[in-house]
Amino acid sequence: MKTALPGCAWRIFSVFLRHKKCYTKHLFANGFPPFIEPLLFLAAIGFGLGKYVDTINGVPYSQYIAPGLLASTAMYTSTFELTYAAYIRMEFEKIYDAILSTPIGIKDAFLGEILWAGAKGFFFSSAVLIVITLFGLVKSPFGLLAPFVGFLTGVSFGSMALVVTSYVKDINNFNFYITGCCTPMFFLSGIIIPLDQLPEGLRVLSFFIPLTHCVNLMRELILGSFHMSGIIDLVWLMLFIPVAVSCAIYRIRKRLIV
Amino acid sequence: MTRTPVIEACGLTKQFNSFTAVDGIDFSIFDSECFGFLGPNGAGKTTTMKMIYCLSPRSSGELSIMGMDPERQPVAIKSMIGVVPQDNNLDPELTVAENLVVYSRFFGIPRKVYKERIEELLEFMSLDKKRNARIKELSGGMKRRLALVRALLNKPRILILDEPTTGLDPQVRHLIWEKLRQLKLSGVTMLLTTHYMEEASQICDRLVIMHEGKILLKGNPHQLVQEHTPNYVMEFSFNGCMVRPEKLAEKYACHIEIYGNRCFVYADSEPVLNQIRTDTKIDTRIIRTSNLEDLFLRLTGRGLHE
Ligand SMILES: Nc1ncnc2c1ncn2[C@@H]1O[C@H](COP(=O)(O)OP(=O)(O)O)[C@@H](O)[C@H]1O
Ligand SMILES: [Mg+2]
Repeated sequence: MKTALPGCAWRIFSVFLRHKKCYTKHLFANGFPPFIEPLLFLAAIGFGLGKYVDTINGVPYSQYIAPGLLASTAMYTSTFELTYAAYIRMEFEKIYDAILSTPIGIKDAFLGEILWAGAKGFFFSSAVLIVITLFGLVKSPFGLLAPFVGFLTGVSFGSMALVVTSYVKDINNFNFYITGCCTPMFFLSGIIIPLDQLPEGLRVLSFFIPLTHCVNLMRELILGSFHMSGIIDLVWLMLFIPVAVSCAIYRIRKRLIV
Repeated sequence: MTRTPVIEACGLTKQFNSFTAVDGIDFSIFDSECFGFLGPNGAGKTTTMKMIYCLSPRSSGELSIMGMDPERQPVAIKSMIGVVPQDNNLDPELTVAENLVVYSRFFGIPRKVYKERIEELLEFMSLDKKRNARIKELSGGMKRRLALVRALLNKPRILILDEPTTGLDPQVRHLIWEKLRQLKLSGVTMLLTTHYMEEASQICDRLVIMHEGKILLKGNPHQLVQEHTPNYVMEFSFNGCMVRPEKLAEKYACHIEIYGNRCFVYADSEPVLNQIRTDTKIDTRIIRTSNLEDLFLRLTGRGLHE
């Protein structure tokens, strides 16, 4: 029997579907944390610390940090997905060996992974969006577009995570990346400390951090305050993403195909 | 009649850095035959299989699968191959049925088709009661059968079986052999690697014996045994035996092999061995026809290869 070969888009999507299936199997356990985390964060930092901070650029502190949480949650979820989880799939569960024995190629499989990381970015930032909406922290209907920025955040950080994963020989090494890279990015991206309060050197550095641009876009959409610099943020991400994705595919191919 | 091979390899070589795992092997595999790869651990069997199912690019040589080059048309090739890998890599996060659904999608099999086929195959492998079990609840034999079900989802023209029965109990082994025979009758071309010589002689039409990346012998298992080993073997242990084996070889013009304190005397006729036994008062009951295992061990040595 001769069947039509699965096309490239379908091959990528079928890998995405595998991850979606695993995730939605435990929807309650998996779906809970993205709602709880921003609550804790807002309670502790926003409303707690906010007592001591006046306003930033004319907005109350909790209002200032809320949009950034959509970006940071997307960063963390996609990072964990394509570091620890991908490593487990690769080295312990040998899932990719199975996947690659089907018509799925390396590129299909890992574009599927990155797409999934983007989708998680989307869903997680949606969850945060719902929470901050309940707190009345969303000021513009454009806020509804924020999860799409979450998607771009997920794709960016998923790709970066995959590059890291391609080098890692021991799962504990991811700690270095998370604490050594992601945490500093969190603090230097303007989520809780406004960029113009940073020393000159760090401010320049922050421009080269993808999260900064995700945060800027989130803030513009959610507060409804658009600037020309928003275009720069969008262009920055649009240039960064293809590069990051290509690097990720190149590196993971080098790792897996011997 | 000349048949065109389904798989053809010529000077096929695989190097990992400076180490040569597969060293310039040639073989042709024809439609609907079962072709065996025998060899001790590390012989290069799995590496050869991986080159065939496009997981590992060859370092040099030619390889053609159904007339296609694995480097250039992996999607087309892989869509016609089913793989039972050496290590089960079933998806532990999914149930039995979910594993099969997810895998069917990788092949782009439409939902209506795979739903039916999954049920059919689960029944074929007597796994239908385990449909909703988690992978870790399955026994080793069930996992292997599930891996076989998974490999059959796309109705493959070529089925690659890398040690399908290693580590299984005899019941499961016989069940799997039975299923493989049925599949062979249905016209599937099979590639089988195994450590069980009985399995190879029962199922394989032709086989190669590999060692250190090279093919030492190829042919029909029964013919190979006939051509390359004397027909009969007598086995005995040295303990308490006064005979000097070298003397025996000289006196009776037979072939002798010694491993540890176990001695194997090969001869073409049974009476010769009986004669030796009577003459030397060797205490053994084992005089038997020689088999593929004797040939295998003679070719690849009886020592460990690790
Ligand atoms: N990815 C790899 N990198 C380096 N060496 C490898 C790799 N895969 C296999 N080998 C080596 O190649 C040889 C053949 O391995 P393999 O094909 O698995 O043997 P078999 O399946 O016959 O037991 C072994 O010595 C093994 O260590
Ligand atoms: Mg092997």
